[in-house]
Amino acid sequence: MAGPEDNQTEGVEVEEENKALKTKKHDSGAADLEKVTDYVEETEISAQSIGDAMKAVSDRKAKERAERQERERELAKVKINKEDVDIIVNEMEIPSAQAERKLREFKGDLVAALVELTN
Amino acid sequence: MPTNNPLPPKENNFFKRILKCYEQKQYKNGLKFAKQILTNPKYSEHGETLAMKGLTLNCLGRKEEAYDHVRRGLRNDLRSHVCWHVYGLLQRSDRKYDEAIKAYRNALKWDKDNLQILRDLSLLQIQMRDLEGYRDTRYQLLVLRPGQRASWIGYAMSYHLLKDYDMAFSIIEEFRKTQMPKPLDYEHSELLMYQNLVLRESGLNSEAFSHLEKYEKQIVDKLAVQEIRGELYQKLGRHEESAEVYRDLIKRNPENWGHYKMHEEAAKPKSVEERLQLYMDIEKDFPRASAPKRLPLAFTTGNTFISLLDTYLRKAFHKGVPPLFVTLKSLYTDPNKVKVVEEIVLGYMESLKKVEKFDETDEGELEPPTSLVWVYYFLASHFDHQGNTTRAMEIINTALEHTPLLIELYALKAKIHKHAGDIEEAMRLMDEAQSLDTADRYINSKCAKYMLKANLITEAADMCSKFTREGVSAMDNLNEMQCMWFQTECAATHQRTGKWGESLKKCHEIDRHFTEIIEDQFDFHTYCMRKMTLRAYIGLLRLEDVLRNHPFYYKAAKIAIEIYLHLNDHPLAENETDNSLDTENLTPSELKKLRNKQRKAAKKAQQAKEKQKAEQDKKEQQSKKQQDGEMDGPKEEELIPDKLARTEEPLEQAIRFLKPLQMLAKDKIQTHIFAFEIYSRKGKHLLMLQSLKRGRRIDSDDPQLHICLLRFLQKVTKKGAIPDAVKKVLEMETLPLHQGKDVKTLNIEYISRNSSSLLHRLAGARMMYELDSSEIVQKKALEMAISLSEDLKGISIKNCIEVLEAMCRGDFGECESVAQDYQARCHSLFPLSPSFIIPASSQPDQIVANGAAS
Repeated sequence: MAGPEDNQTEGVEVEEENKALKTKKHDSGAADLEKVTDYVEETEISAQSIGDAMKAVSDRKAKERAERQERERELAKVKINKEDVDIIVNEMEIPSAQAERKLREFKGDLVAALVELTN
Repeated sequence: MPTNNPLPPKENNFFKRILKCYEQKQYKNGLKFAKQILTNPKYSEHGETLAMKGLTLNCLGRKEEAYDHVRRGLRNDLRSHVCWHVYGLLQRSDRKYDEAIKAYRNALKWDKDNLQILRDLSLLQIQMRDLEGYRDTRYQLLVLRPGQRASWIGYAMSYHLLKDYDMAFSIIEEFRKTQMPKPLDYEHSELLMYQNLVLRESGLNSEAFSHLEKYEKQIVDKLAVQEIRGELYQKLGRHEESAEVYRDLIKRNPENWGHYKMHEEAAKPKSVEERLQLYMDIEKDFPRASAPKRLPLAFTTGNTFISLLDTYLRKAFHKGVPPLFVTLKSLYTDPNKVKVVEEIVLGYMESLKKVEKFDETDEGELEPPTSLVWVYYFLASHFDHQGNTTRAMEIINTALEHTPLLIELYALKAKIHKHAGDIEEAMRLMDEAQSLDTADRYINSKCAKYMLKANLITEAADMCSKFTREGVSAMDNLNEMQCMWFQTECAATHQRTGKWGESLKKCHEIDRHFTEIIEDQFDFHTYCMRKMTLRAYIGLLRLEDVLRNHPFYYKAAKIAIEIYLHLNDHPLAENETDNSLDTENLTPSELKKLRNKQRKAAKKAQQAKEKQKAEQDKKEQQSKKQQDGEMDGPKEEELIPDKLARTEEPLEQAIRFLKPLQMLAKDKIQTHIFAFEIYSRKGKHLLMLQSLKRGRRIDSDDPQLHICLLRFLQKVTKKGAIPDAVKKVLEMETLPLHQGKDVKTLNIEYISRNSSSLLHRLAGARMMYELDSSEIVQKKALEMAISLSEDLKGISIKNCIEVLEAMCRGDFGECESVAQDYQARCHSLFPLSPSFIIPASSQPDQIVANGAAS
């Protein structure tokens, strides 16, 4: 009997409830206030300006992502020695992820990476 | 909704009521409803219900059960965003933010547009300063709710924090265009000010200026507008206009020194006369303002200075301004001015005594007797500052004869005694001062502080209890109030008396205060965004980033690291109580006295404890009654002194305190010396090298660093099995440190470079003996260390104690007679300091019982 319909309502309500209880937790009494402002603003911000701003925002984002991926790809290409990472971790007492990254940044040159880390 | 196991309407209804109960903090009722669902065999393993039951249990403080239920719920329904969300909330309540972030991310996998989870995630990200993650989450929130104000502000702010000012500016600009401000709209005004801040931080001064001009009418913070305008005019090279603005600001408040400074910078006076004229002009308009009278004292000289100072001082003495010396202290960097001040004020004293006037030739009325008291007070402070204890003491005694009941005089006399090294007498005097006005919290605190310096902890706590909450022990209440001056001082006292565990407890308490202050930030992430107090919010975030830069943290960390280093070198034996140290060097009668004192103290403490326990029980009963009260943060592990002192891993604990210092107190040489001491005990060559290199960037001739360096170089030459790469790095990087010279040569060069400073000589001498302990060298080294010739820099009680301590510690081998002789010489130099009084028994007293890094 309890079809997908019921399911749906439950989900929404859970979200609603959760929202309420979270807001309550952090904002104590002011939760109602937020709802009021939300409503007013909804009518204030025009669709056009949102569209423009969103466009500028997404263009920028795409570029950023591309740049970051390029950098990551380059770093990933560097071949590094597991033992070298262990030496860095042991000598400098830093997490291995951090050690690995340093080593990659220095194209796998252990001595250069260590010198940099002692600065 | 991809949950595995939907509930039928009746149960679903119960579920909703669980949520409502949680929200209304009716946890017990929540559990009842959960039971209703779970007792039905068909739903006994219902994931979301189990999760919610766990969350409710967590609020009742039943942590283990909570985790148990939430985990079980999650296992039963891995595809429910509710379960993951609850798991995240649980982790968050335990301050495991990294884990919580992961859980939220999982929740979002099943419900990627869930606003509440996205908001929670963004809060954690900003709290953890995962700025890129924060930006991405804020982006999603903006896409989902572009109509909401907070979406735009949050997104803009994420770029601002990432220092992408352009983007931050344009997002705010887009948002601003949609706004229709009401008159005197504070929130809109703050938005504009924030936008202006972004422009200024990106260095676009002329844009910022036109932005300010354009929106000035909508901004309600008029003072800030004016200050920004002045600053921008100045940056744009429009000095005259800038000066105009600052004159206006001075009119608003003629006591703001910052505005005077900026005014001067804008007006660009070409000579001292012109500079002085600026102030005289203002003084004409504001004859009662003190800043235009005080500030010229800093840059004028000669007769102008004398006449200005004379006027300034007469007025202040006549009026009776106790902190007069403090306001003039910054002039004391110039020895000529010190002389002038001294001459003038001594002149006042003589003439006031004779004719009750500042000058015998003065016309007019007689000065009131208070003028003379404040002159005495000033002079005593002056001589104390100059290190002339005898003179300071003479004058303060005269003052006390003149006015025997003035609290300030007792407090100052106490301070003079403190500076002279006699803390016992200082404490007694401060107590007397305090007894003259027991309702004055300032003098009460001062007295407590002096008591702590005199190692009287119980007495200090008693003193404070006059102002702490009734019914709670003062110590607990002070901790609760995060009263950190008391706690750092307490930690130092315990350290001096060798109670390592107690001292560590205080240090950890202070560390926890800082953690708590960082936690408290959480509430502001949503609050500030909603209230638009964006400038203040950015300021808060930046403050929290460097919070442990605070001197209180530094003090606590210093003590903790010193103790952990000591405990690493001398771990406590099985049955040893940790204060046995100071009893070794006492005579039998002293020991007896001490034991008596201890017994009394113990008895007193026992009584206090019983009383406290009774109160505690009462409190617990009360709190049990209102059990539904919200738990605030995770319950922290209790700090037990003995356990702290018997830590398995003192060096790791020390590193925990060191890390924030390395991040935030890089400019203090001591930070790097601590790092060296810790890592040398761990045998980490490269980290030792790192601390040396960092330390040398601050002061390559620092005495302690010199010792570290030579020890390091010696150690490196006999390196054992270390990887080739490390060897190579060491060879390469130590070369600039020793330039191919051996350690003895380096030490000789160091000594000749720094022969005029007491502490540098001590370091050089110590290393001399350490490198060669032959008798001739010992003699030479001692000779160098104990010199007290007048042209040496740094002859002070503290430094002399350090020399004496080094000798007692055996840094120069056997040298008892030399040490005693030195002690006697110091005694004649600092007659009031008990550190140099040779006790009746011939054994030189052990001065400081700490195991400080050496």
